[in-house]
Amino acid sequence: MSDFDVVVVGAGPAGSAAAIELARAGRSVCLLERGPSPGSKNMYGGVVYGRILDTLVPAWWEQVPVQRWVTRRSTMLIHDEQALTVDFRNPGWGAAPFNGATTFRPDFDAWLAGVAVDAGAVLVCSTTATGLIREGGRVVGVRTDRPDGDLRAPVVIACDGVNSFLAKEAGMYPHTGAENFTVGVKETIALPREVIDERFAVRGDEGVDIEILGCTGDVPGGGFVYTNATSVAVGLVLSLPALAAGPDRPEELLRRLKAHPAVAPLVEGGEVLEYSAHVIPEAGYRMMPELVGDGILVAGDAAAMCLAAGIWLEGVNFAIGSGAAAGRAATRALARGDASAAGLAAYREMLESGFVLADHRRLRDAPHLVMGDLAQRGLPAVACGVMEDLFTVRNPEPKQGVRRIVRNRMRRNGIRVRDAVREGLRAVRTFG
Amino acid sequence: MLVAACVKLVDLRPQVDRVSGAVTPSATPGCSAADRAAVELALTLADSWSASSAVVCCGPAAADPVLREFAASGAGRLVRLDVDGAPDSSIVGRLLAGVLGDLGADVVVCGDYSTDRGSGSVPAWVADGLGAAQALGLVQVRSEGVGSLRATRRLDGGRRERLVVDAPCVVSVEGSLAELRRAPLAAALAARDLPIEVVDAPGVVVPAPLATRPWVPPTRVQPAPTGSAALERVVELTGALVERTPPRTVELPPRQAAELILEQLRTWGYLDADDSTPGGTAAT
Repeated sequence: MSDFDVVVVGAGPAGSAAAIELARAGRSVCLLERGPSPGSKNMYGGVVYGRILDTLVPAWWEQVPVQRWVTRRSTMLIHDEQALTVDFRNPGWGAAPFNGATTFRPDFDAWLAGVAVDAGAVLVCSTTATGLIREGGRVVGVRTDRPDGDLRAPVVIACDGVNSFLAKEAGMYPHTGAENFTVGVKETIALPREVIDERFAVRGDEGVDIEILGCTGDVPGGGFVYTNATSVAVGLVLSLPALAAGPDRPEELLRRLKAHPAVAPLVEGGEVLEYSAHVIPEAGYRMMPELVGDGILVAGDAAAMCLAAGIWLEGVNFAIGSGAAAGRAATRALARGDASAAGLAAYREMLESGFVLADHRRLRDAPHLVMGDLAQRGLPAVACGVMEDLFTVRNPEPKQGVRRIVRNRMRRNGIRVRDAVREGLRAVRTFG
Repeated sequence: MLVAACVKLVDLRPQVDRVSGAVTPSATPGCSAADRAAVELALTLADSWSASSAVVCCGPAAADPVLREFAASGAGRLVRLDVDGAPDSSIVGRLLAGVLGDLGADVVVCGDYSTDRGSGSVPAWVADGLGAAQALGLVQVRSEGVGSLRATRRLDGGRRERLVVDAPCVVSVEGSLAELRRAPLAAALAARDLPIEVVDAPGVVVPAPLATRPWVPPTRVQPAPTGSAALERVVELTGALVERTPPRTVELPPRQAAELILEQLRTWGYLDADDSTPGGTAAT
């Protein structure tokens, strides 16, 4: 006998979105959360793009707990002490229906889980799913760490995060090598609101998101700075194998980023409130587990649905999109009385037809491209060098042509034209 | 026999400004570790004595989910005194004593003090209201038979006091004494809709919160240094190289000791000559 129609493991964005869909469809759903409250153990280093919430929570922006609405997006290339920044400002993103926001995950996740509870989901916190219950090879529930903690349901939706033990136990996750993962480290630094407004040239609830390339030394990765209401988050995303093989520790690399002339003025004088770290499924489409099994669906970070594609760094929106699709697919399967892999197959179809798998498939080469040597070292060095040559006035020498400057800088950095062209074509194919 | 635990809903993670002392509430209400230890001890004693158990809370409806957690862990009855705000400890103690008396509680277990600037006096007020024995600030408690406890209390200087307390009694415990048991999953699910007995507390006067401001040390008039050279003036200002009155230890009855301290404060200029009260106006 089942305790619920569906057990959703993990009350992050994916789990709560699944629970909302199921509860609104009239299904009994238990939302299990390992932490004492939703989001209490979560962190991220970016922006929540809420467009996917339009269908789930109409006018969500009127109730979601945000820190700032992002109206400036900058991409910064760092080489030695130099920095080249492409800065885009759009005040239109600071008004409804908005584009993206910085928010604290304990606030955001608790809010979304609250929507699920209001819809009728049963939230049980401080409870870890320790394994799957199977009958005849089919998943029929989960075991938890509470006494008498078995919970039975025809469908289990695993939204248990990047190290999804449930997907692994179900044999659905073959790509667990360290090369598929990065580690994100972040400091949250307190600064007065008016200081942030002044340093980042924003007003009111406007916020800034800066993505950085070339700031991680010998470890492939990237950096970020973004603004909260009264704090600034500074962090790095670092390749796990390179980090393990090299002498640099993440906190030392982060210290160097904070000391860089382009970043130091943004954070100086602030008080570090928190240092946190989390593993990220970096390889995207190429590392995704099987999404559908007999009686089980996998969504969110547990399904590696995190887009680390250079200019696009997104995760929470993919988690919500995949979670909602899992909830709808489970609803359909339950209505037909078929919770087998075939009955739940609509989940993959929904993801294929929507943005979740379409974006991941289109950008499947992006993580490799961004973590490659040319993007990590060559591009920042050449870009900063070209800017230096362009804007350094060497009178009485006449100015050089741009092509010559680029060629010289490429040569000085050991980049052959054919390699650059090859990588450029790959980038066009990937991002085009 | 009934073993009851008294708990208080507090903000578990308030933001406290270190300069101004201003408190920004968080969204994480709950009970302190000491209160949770009190509930665990009450459940353990009730189990070992085959007695009934209850958890009583004096607070708003926001405390209900927390009380249901205790029910999931095994508490038999849940009672909430419906009070908003923060009445004086003596009032809370009297109210709780009234409810506990009506319930027929033989042994009452409380946390040693609440984490929201609690004074730890509520258990004493409860004991007074019930006319029961009290043993407060306990670090260890074990049963000596039904209705009898052997307890260890922390004293100054690392010392311990061992007590035997018999029902009716009120004890308060530190958070390190026990960790609340994990509720079985089925009980946690069943407790979600458990009814809570709500007792009205009409006429309770809740005082306005005290205004807080940064503590500023009292100042005293310091004559300007008279030396002709800068070094001399600095030495004079800082008091370096000046023979000082060595510290002394006196052993006196409390009243004479207090008078001696006041006299010394007057000598140093921290109190006016005619100020005879410790809370008197400091010289400015």
